[in-house]
Amino acid sequence: MASTLILLVIGLSWLGALLVWWVGDKRSALQHALAIFFSVASGAASIALIFNASSSTVINLDAGGVFGQFTFVADGLGVYLAAIATVIGSLAVIFSVNYMHGEKGLGRYYAMVLFFIGGMAGLVLTSNLLLMFLFWEITALCSYALIAFHNDDPKAVAGGIKALIITQLGGIGLLAGALILYSQTGSYDFNQMIANPGIINPRLLSGMAFGCLIAAAAKSAQFPFFTWLPDAMEAPTPISALIHAATMVNAGVYLLARFYPAFEAVPGWKISVILVGMISAFISAIMALFANDLKRVLAYSTISQLGYMVFAIGCGGIYASQFHLLSHSVFKALLFLGAGAIIHSVGTRDMREMGGLGKKMPFTRFVFIIGALALAGIPILNGFWSKELVLEAGLTGGPVWAYAIMLITAGLTAFYTFRMVWMVFYGKPSEKHIHDAQPAMKVALAPLALGAVVAWLLAGPFASLLQSTLPAHNIHPASTMEVIVEVIKAPATYVALAVVALGLVSWWQRENLAGVSKAFKWLGTIAENSFGFEAVNKFIVRETQATAEELRDTQTGLLNWNIAGLLIGLIAVIIILVMGG
Amino acid sequence: MINALVAVAMIICAIQAIRVKKLLSAALWLAGCSAMVALMLYLLGAPEIAVIELSVGAGLVTVLFVFAINIIGDEKPVTEPGIPPLIAWALVILSIGILAYLNLPLLSEVIPDLAEIPMASTTIWTDRMLDVILQIVLIFVGVMGVINLISDSKAKEKNQ
Amino acid sequence: MTNIPMIIMLAVLGLVGVGFYALLATRNLIKVIIALQILVKGGLLAMVLAGRIQGQVMVGQSMALTAIVADTIVAVVGLALAVQVRKHHGTIDLKQLTKLKR
Repeated sequence: MASTLILLVIGLSWLGALLVWWVGDKRSALQHALAIFFSVASGAASIALIFNASSSTVINLDAGGVFGQFTFVADGLGVYLAAIATVIGSLAVIFSVNYMHGEKGLGRYYAMVLFFIGGMAGLVLTSNLLLMFLFWEITALCSYALIAFHNDDPKAVAGGIKALIITQLGGIGLLAGALILYSQTGSYDFNQMIANPGIINPRLLSGMAFGCLIAAAAKSAQFPFFTWLPDAMEAPTPISALIHAATMVNAGVYLLARFYPAFEAVPGWKISVILVGMISAFISAIMALFANDLKRVLAYSTISQLGYMVFAIGCGGIYASQFHLLSHSVFKALLFLGAGAIIHSVGTRDMREMGGLGKKMPFTRFVFIIGALALAGIPILNGFWSKELVLEAGLTGGPVWAYAIMLITAGLTAFYTFRMVWMVFYGKPSEKHIHDAQPAMKVALAPLALGAVVAWLLAGPFASLLQSTLPAHNIHPASTMEVIVEVIKAPATYVALAVVALGLVSWWQRENLAGVSKAFKWLGTIAENSFGFEAVNKFIVRETQATAEELRDTQTGLLNWNIAGLLIGLIAVIIILVMGG
Repeated sequence: MINALVAVAMIICAIQAIRVKKLLSAALWLAGCSAMVALMLYLLGAPEIAVIELSVGAGLVTVLFVFAINIIGDEKPVTEPGIPPLIAWALVILSIGILAYLNLPLLSEVIPDLAEIPMASTTIWTDRMLDVILQIVLIFVGVMGVINLISDSKAKEKNQ
Repeated sequence: MTNIPMIIMLAVLGLVGVGFYALLATRNLIKVIIALQILVKGGLLAMVLAGRIQGQVMVGQSMALTAIVADTIVAVVGLALAVQVRKHHGTIDLKQLTKLKR
């Protein structure tokens, strides 16, 4: 049962990708319909998969001696992330019907989206590290192709290339991890290593742990590789919602959570993870304070919230981090899709040119504010519960100074969220002709808004799902009620709420605090330059491209030289075989 | 003895096929080489494969070559080599040398008898099902290739 | 005393060597396809020989059959490509066909 469902989840989306591309751009109505059908079908299969979760291997394809067994496991961590990828994927596809109406290259767009959905589901469901690397690269490729979807816009292309190069370089860490695993155990199956990390030489294990941390930081746009995510906002907005908020950027968090039991004991690893998460959360919250581009604010807040998840993992709060991931996927997809409706209607991303949209877009305002409140961590929305759990995990499992900074970040989050809502929906109305979200957009936004309000009720079932299928992760089962009581009783909750309220009040009193904001003007200038890390990332991208440009000389384009290369390779392989054999 | 003769003829045909300037003659030398390979296969006790090689390799492919060369026109090939001959020779000698060094000592003087050969059809249909499917796919591809060739020649006739 | 496997192996090596050399040296697209044909003929002879020596006659032969089919298709598609290349670029000289490089 589970094996069929896994094949359906991945296969349906990939089949859909092929069909949409094959139908051709002349029949765009059919393309929309096909894309919706296949993404929704794949989403249904993945939801059915949740009820078939188990910790045993359900698919085992023998791929020969070099690649080992291609194994898929439908355990709790995998099925729920696959469900997020496919469900939010299908909502993004539905949203695209209106958003991408009349665009050129729909076939390319939908094919890449569906290819991505399948790749993401495969990434979280496989237990073969090499296969995981393959899916990892597939998602990076789709992300690149979709960021650069408007390929006549040099900014979009540059953003795509940047995202591609940074995530690919990070991916080398994962590949190194896979090779270490293979050299030590003779197979790529990571579950045996997670159950018993002792089978790997401690020094190699530490190399693997930090390789995975680099891969995760690059993929999840964490410190110091975070600057590709704001540039990725050139993508069509449903893509930002799907790939750069709800799914692909979670892959790094997933990787860390998945391997936590194995890397836990590696000296210095946990504190590095805490540092990466904390620094990302804090400085991207500051950058979000000063950004004026609606999508960039959301991108910075995505980095910040991902920082919370990484921080929680570093503190040992796997459940807290995954629960926050679930909440974040819902409310951030909601915010991005809401922002998409706004941008589609207003035609600009600059918040200074918006203002007063609330009256003209009541539906969008309603759902957007639900998402914003969840982001700010206001009770009883899903963001509140999960953020409290993360902070609690930080208090029990991490150093106090890190907890303090995360608290301050929570206040900053509330502050920039309200700034964003105010600049978009209130204030002086602009004179533009505005229309509210279109029907398909509403269809996509409504379930997400509902999810942001009620998803936390799943806390109990979610905990037991993770606990029953992930023996090595040491997750305590708790019912929803217990989670609620735990959060309400903890004094940390009230501290956090007070800080959030402080953030709110300081936005309320911003006129009176004008002196303070002037004093912080220098901070804004630095924040707009991403604290100098933009230069680091640009340097990496430039050097990679320069190296590639130099390597171009080795490509003569002449068949004879290519054959010569093949022959030299053949000779080398035979010699190695003779020596080794 | 006859094996040695066939082998020598085969290699001479192959060398001629790449040496001669005219493409049409090269195709014909290739057909000769193919015929020699078929003969060798027959001597090795694989008559079915020999027949297929003879009809497909020496027949069909040669026809296609002649056909294509007719369309392209027998343009005089450039004599200047693609990469410096010294490098080419070095690579060929090195790779063949290694292969020979590895393979030749393993070959004993006797060939096992063809005691009990199962029916070719049973093996092909039961044990090598995947091969058959692959062959069907390949033949399909080939048909499309031929259609491409023919349609092109027709377009050319129209132009003239 | 004649060592038949040795003779056939030498013939295989000869064919493969001739094919390699032609692939390295020739600049004519049709000649490249001819070289591939010669190369694969060496390969299929080796397959049948290996099957014969190992006592798995039929495995070797059915693989040789697949090789013949594949080889023929390579020739057909290659020739079709050559015809198209000639039509579009006016030449089948490899050195003038390096347009993929900027």
